[in-house]
Amino acid sequence: MTAQALEPYLPFAATLVERRELSPDTALFRVAPEPAARSALSGFLPGQFMQLSVPGAGEVPISPADLPGADGTLELCVRRVGQVTTLLHQARPGQPLGLRGPFGTGFPVEEMTGCPVVLLAGGLGIAPLRSLLLHLVRNRERYGEVTLMYGAREPALMLFREELVGLAAAHGLRLYLTVDFAPEQAAGEYACAVGLLPDLLKGFRFDAGQSYTAVCGPPPLYRCLIGELTAAGVAPDRVLLSLERRMRCGIGRCCHCAIGTKLCCTDGPVFRLSELAGIPEAL
Amino acid sequence: MENSAYLAQESLQQFLDTLGGFGTLHAPTWSESGVSLFAPVRSLDEIDLGYRRTQIPPKKYLFPFRDTFLEYREGHYRFPDGTSPATVLFGVHACDLEAIAYLDLVFLSEPRDPRYAERRAKLLLVGISCTPDEYCFCSEPQGSARCDLFLEAREGGFRVHAGTAAGAAMLGAASELLQEADAAPSGRAPSCLIPAQDPARAYSRDPLWDEFARRCVGCGACSACCPTCYCFDVRETPGLSGDGSRVREWDNCLFPSHGAVAGGNFRPTRLDRLRYRFLHKYCGFSPLEGRSSCVGCGRCKELCPVDIDLRELVAMPRGETEQP
Repeated sequence: MTAQALEPYLPFAATLVERRELSPDTALFRVAPEPAARSALSGFLPGQFMQLSVPGAGEVPISPADLPGADGTLELCVRRVGQVTTLLHQARPGQPLGLRGPFGTGFPVEEMTGCPVVLLAGGLGIAPLRSLLLHLVRNRERYGEVTLMYGAREPALMLFREELVGLAAAHGLRLYLTVDFAPEQAAGEYACAVGLLPDLLKGFRFDAGQSYTAVCGPPPLYRCLIGELTAAGVAPDRVLLSLERRMRCGIGRCCHCAIGTKLCCTDGPVFRLSELAGIPEAL
Repeated sequence: MENSAYLAQESLQQFLDTLGGFGTLHAPTWSESGVSLFAPVRSLDEIDLGYRRTQIPPKKYLFPFRDTFLEYREGHYRFPDGTSPATVLFGVHACDLEAIAYLDLVFLSEPRDPRYAERRAKLLLVGISCTPDEYCFCSEPQGSARCDLFLEAREGGFRVHAGTAAGAAMLGAASELLQEADAAPSGRAPSCLIPAQDPARAYSRDPLWDEFARRCVGCGACSACCPTCYCFDVRETPGLSGDGSRVREWDNCLFPSHGAVAGGNFRPTRLDRLRYRFLHKYCGFSPLEGRSSCVGCGRCKELCPVDIDLRELVAMPRGETEQP
């Protein structure tokens, strides 16, 4: 069934249902769209993004941390950084919000069928990759080996840690957690390595010829990881990068998010490395 | 009714009166402070028929500098009420008409921009032929099909040509003022557009890039005065009773804030920002990739305080390279 198209310029109403603190500055917000909008979200792909409005403050692009639930709600993992996200962090359940979307390209989950998948997340980059991971887990038999490598600055900033460990155990995922530095690690906590993601990737053995890799993290992460992935032999059209830019409108009009001559909001935010060849500022 | 006719100079005031029946008449004139601009006019003596270029291009009629795009009331965002008045914009040069045709491509393609579409439907365009000056770099077209009506200067008057049904209606209403045209349309007018450039040019090691980056003061005049620059920022302001309004404003790729995100900036240097401008203007952003939007109006060349002319980076076809 084709989802009913929504007016792309006009946010539909949504309500904050609950929030869960994930770290001192990051929380997971469960948002319920108005019933009329739910059908439009049914075709949502992991990696696509929504424009979230906090009335009176403005709009921010957010990649949901999971596909819409059976009840139509969306999970948005948001760090408190700017004006809009600060107001969102002050909001209580019941707060009216607005949503536009979904926008942009998602991960090519159909094309990835049958192949091993390696997810590489740095910091808040785990948010869009979690929606991909949950999709892979729910359709576990359709994909090959699934690996998640996730690096955070320090243990306290590692998001979804218990959930990821649980998923790995239940669905046979290879999970590697690493932190840039660990001030002190309390006994009884899940172990995570100290070191950077590219170092972790160096010693990693996987079927580079068949694998799809999905990368999302802070800008400096991409360059380092791509060097390793290319050296390992992953084809550039199987290196999937979820990029961030200043996406104001989400529909290719405001022209703040161009990468070369491509627009992050409509041609991305998920790009193949092969699409970014010849664009020095892309990564 | 023929689509072409001759209008004698003596009948121009009456012709303008007739056009005024189709909407509020706006035309090139001078502000009190001596700036050339499009503004409402009542009579011919207010119009600067031989103007070179207005400082702010006609995009302001379709895409105002600041525009309330959405209102938030009673738990919902909605488009603001109200419609724009019918406007007859008289005396637009071929370059600015080409620019509006480009903006139409941007804003009227799916998903159509509702605010732009509403204003565009109410705007009637009357073009006029021009005399290029030292800043112009178009192909000197003397006509344009990008308008409802075009006035081509002739001996003692104008050859008037209707390009649309609305233009034909205007001609029809003015039929008593018109005479038979002396000659058939002189073929298709050349386009004003500067040819599209290879994006690789934006990343070339041409020392001119560094020279421009060193000189640029980041004032953004080139973008503000450009008839095809349309980057917009979005701001939201809360009201006192839980309501709010969302405003679109012209943004400027020469400003550092253009590439800023929470926690960083994707175009931190002037060189990055000049390259961005080059890519957008001469190479086109998806889905208009491969399409230049420089119409040669000369505004940026005239207004840049440090004489930067990005076209020096444009690879001109052989034989057309400008002399230093």
